[in-house]
Parts: sequence; structure tokens; C-alpha cells
Amino acid sequence: MAAILNSLLAALPRKSYRRLVSGLAPVTLTFGDILYHPGDTIRDVFFPVESLVSLLTPVDGHLALEVGMVGREGMVGVPLALGIGVSSVRALVQGAGPALKMSADRFRTELHAIPALQAELNRYVHTLMAQISQTAACNRFHVVEARLARWLLMTRDRVRSGEFRMTHEFLSHMLGVRRVGVTEAATALQRRHLIEYSRGNIRILDHAGLEAASCDCYTVVRDMHDGAVYSRIPAPHSPISRPSSIPAPHS
Amino acid sequence: MPKAVPATTLPSPKENHLLAALSDEAYRRLLPSLEGVALPLGMVLYESGGTQGYVYFPTDSIVSLLYVLADGASAEIAVTGSEGLVGIALFMGGETTPSRAVVQSAGHAYRLRASVCKAQFDANPELQHLLLRFTQALITQMTQTAVCNRHHSIDQQLCRWLLLSLDRLKGDHLSMTQELIANMLGVRREGVTEAASRLQAAGLIEYRRGDIHVTDRKRLEARVCECYAVVKREYDRLLPAPRAAHIAAVG
Repeated sequence: MAAILNSLLAALPRKSYRRLVSGLAPVTLTFGDILYHPGDTIRDVFFPVESLVSLLTPVDGHLALEVGMVGREGMVGVPLALGIGVSSVRALVQGAGPALKMSADRFRTELHAIPALQAELNRYVHTLMAQISQTAACNRFHVVEARLARWLLMTRDRVRSGEFRMTHEFLSHMLGVRRVGVTEAATALQRRHLIEYSRGNIRILDHAGLEAASCDCYTVVRDMHDGAVYSRIPAPHSPISRPSSIPAPHS
Repeated sequence: MPKAVPATTLPSPKENHLLAALSDEAYRRLLPSLEGVALPLGMVLYESGGTQGYVYFPTDSIVSLLYVLADGASAEIAVTGSEGLVGIALFMGGETTPSRAVVQSAGHAYRLRASVCKAQFDANPELQHLLLRFTQALITQMTQTAVCNRHHSIDQQLCRWLLLSLDRLKGDHLSMTQELIANMLGVRREGVTEAASRLQAAGLIEYRRGDIHVTDRKRLEARVCECYAVVKREYDRLLPAPRAAHIAAVG
């Protein structure tokens, strides 16, 4: 049997996976395509293989903000796994590449028939929620340069390449900052010879250096999959012990 | 640990909308395992990185979920009251929880031991569907909070926070210190003081010694960002109506 390149599917018992295969169609996701808008009926779910889909929440008068990222570790169309047929976010292809697609009808049938699929999806959804929370807190507290480094590393891990297309405008959505903020951060990383950025193309030059420039959030999110992550977060003293020392959000 | 309280002083378990929405049969099966507890202000139900012994179904309390970063900074990612439950990691299959759960408004809840919750979740499709729907509603609240934290003013965030809290309480008073609010919103205490003063000067709230009285809810709603309405609409769409409305609708 060929290697299963989406790790959510790979985690299923072989028998369950075999049952699913006939419903999975290989597709190539195109950079910039929108798979769903908020409020759209979910017609298909997608298991990225070497593609990357960004989950964005739009907000009036501002750039939409990236709230989560899905690569080969997961599935796009999570509400369907929770019994809801409508997307609450915008799902935007941000790293072109192969994925496996399944129709919503077939997915519902399989979910019902394979308890292991529901269990695996529940575990994934929980990890995604942790990623969403981590991203929210990171956006709130960490400087743009560190967030950009985190974002580039998360993207690299999912598309499995240190070189990808990315415009400043895209990045400003991803990070929730103005373009000028993105330009400054990218220039700073470039000056430190960590990345090379020209004409919408980003190349990571120094992986270790970029990891050092990123906030802890990168390793926290990366390690979420092995479950070891949470033990590394220091237990705080009390719920209300540190109000005055909390820094204001950066922008 | 929360203290068990005599049944006579407790609200009915059906004050919790999820429990109230269960069929008689499913409800009767859970009832012997539900333990009523008092939740005082500031109590930590679980720490980030910890394991949970119980899930909690609030009746007249509100619990805040805070995400804690490795450097100790924390921000609220969601609030849950009688419309939901606290501790989804238990049935989603996460070994530990990524957030810290703190009682934000004192009251009561019914709790269910971890082993019972898992067994019931697996054995009872009705309960499973209900809890997964709640999970999707919670994801929406988390993503909207992330966007709100990034893009909206402290005044707007405070309005959102007050309205989400009020919706989960009876009456128009909140017991809350500015220190706690600052912690929830992840901003400096002075920022909260200034925002609260502006709302007070505009005649929307009265704030006195840890008591917030919302005097003009309509104008509070006019001042809040869209995030409040987005979350409320999703909750109304995805979750069972409160008990009174439920009975009225059925009868």
C-alpha cells in the first residue's frame, strides 16, 4: 500500500482507511482559491497533502485575520465533522499543491459508519482549537517580526518547502497588521540573512536562525501533535496574579 | 476543588440548556452522575496543561477560558455559561487542556466525572451530537474573539465582554473587578479603567466597588463591535434555546 500522505488519514485503522479510499479524489488546490466563504454550505471536505489552507475570519472595515492553518496534519471542513453543514470561516488556499477531496454526502455517510474516523477528527479538532487559541494569543502579545517568523516556519512545515509565493498583502491578512508593518518585519528578517524576499517569492535561508527569531508559539503549535506540548507551559501561580504586568497588544 | 452543595439550594440541572435539550431518557441516564457544585468567583476549574477530572455544565455561573502563553501572558478566548459546558478536551480526546478555566461570575454548575462523560459520549449519539454542535459554536466564539482582540478598541471589547456576560446571567448586574476584566481582555488595568469610565460617563453602566450595573443595554449594543452579534447569531443558530423558550416552542 502506498504511503498515506495526509497524517489524519494515516492515523486511521487500515481497514477504515481502505473503506474511505474510493470516496477520496485527488485534486490540486490552486493558490488564492477560496474553498468556502463564511456561511457557505460545505459541499466537499479536503485533506491537504502538500498544500496549505488558511482559515480566515473577516471583519468589517479591517483585513480578514488568519485564525488557523490546515496542512497535511488535518482536514478543511471541520464543521461537518461536528454535525454542522455550513462554514464559519473563509478557507483560502495559500500553498498550492495536492489534496484529497471527499463530497459532503459521502463524508457524512463514512462518519456515521466509521467510529474511528469521528474519534480521529475529534482529536484533530481539539488540536486545531489549541492552534486557534495559540494564534489568537500570539497575535495579541508578540511583535510582528516574531509572528512573521512563526508564520513562515508553520507554512514551510506544511508545504514541505523552504520557498513559497507570498505577497505583502497576503501576509498582512495572515498577521493582522498593515502592509507597512509586514514590509518592516520582512526587511528586518532579510537583513539578518534569515530569508530572501523578492517579487512575491520568499525563500528561507537559515532555518535555525528563523526558529530563533520566532516566538515560542511556533514550537508549541508544532509539538501539539505529539501531545507533549502542554507539559512545557509553566503552570501559572493563580488566575488573577498578574494583571498589571500584562503588556499592551503590539501592532 | 468546588464544594458539593445540598440539592435544596441548587438550581435545577435543566437550567443548563444542553442538559435541558436532552431527551427524557438520555437525561435520566445522566442524572445520577450529575453532581451540583458551587463555583466561587476566581476559582480555577483546571489549569492549562493539566488533566481534567470533570466536565462542568454551568447553570447560573460563567466560566472564562484563558489561553496562557509560554511567557505567562494570558488572554480570554471564550466564555461559557448556562448555554454550554466547560471541558470539551475530555470528550474530544485531547489528553490535556490547552486553556485555563476560571470562574468569572460566581454561581453553580453540575459536573460529570471524566470516565462517565467519556462513556456516555461514546454510548449516546444524542449526547454526542449535542456536544459536538456546542464545540462548533465554541470555535466560532474563539475565532471571533481572536479577531476582536486584534482589531477592535478596548471600549468595543469591553462592550462585547459585558454583553456576552449579561446574556449568561439573570438581571443586569455583574460582580467583577477591573483587575479581572483586564486579565480577561489581556490589556492593562488602566486601559480597562479608562474604557469603563467612558461607558459610565456616557450613562451606559454604573461601576461601584466590584459591581457593574448595566443601565442602558440598548446603547451598549449600539456601541459594541460586530463581534458580539456574530457570536450571538451562531450560538442561537447552533444551540438549543433556553429552557423556557424550549418549552414554549414545544408546547
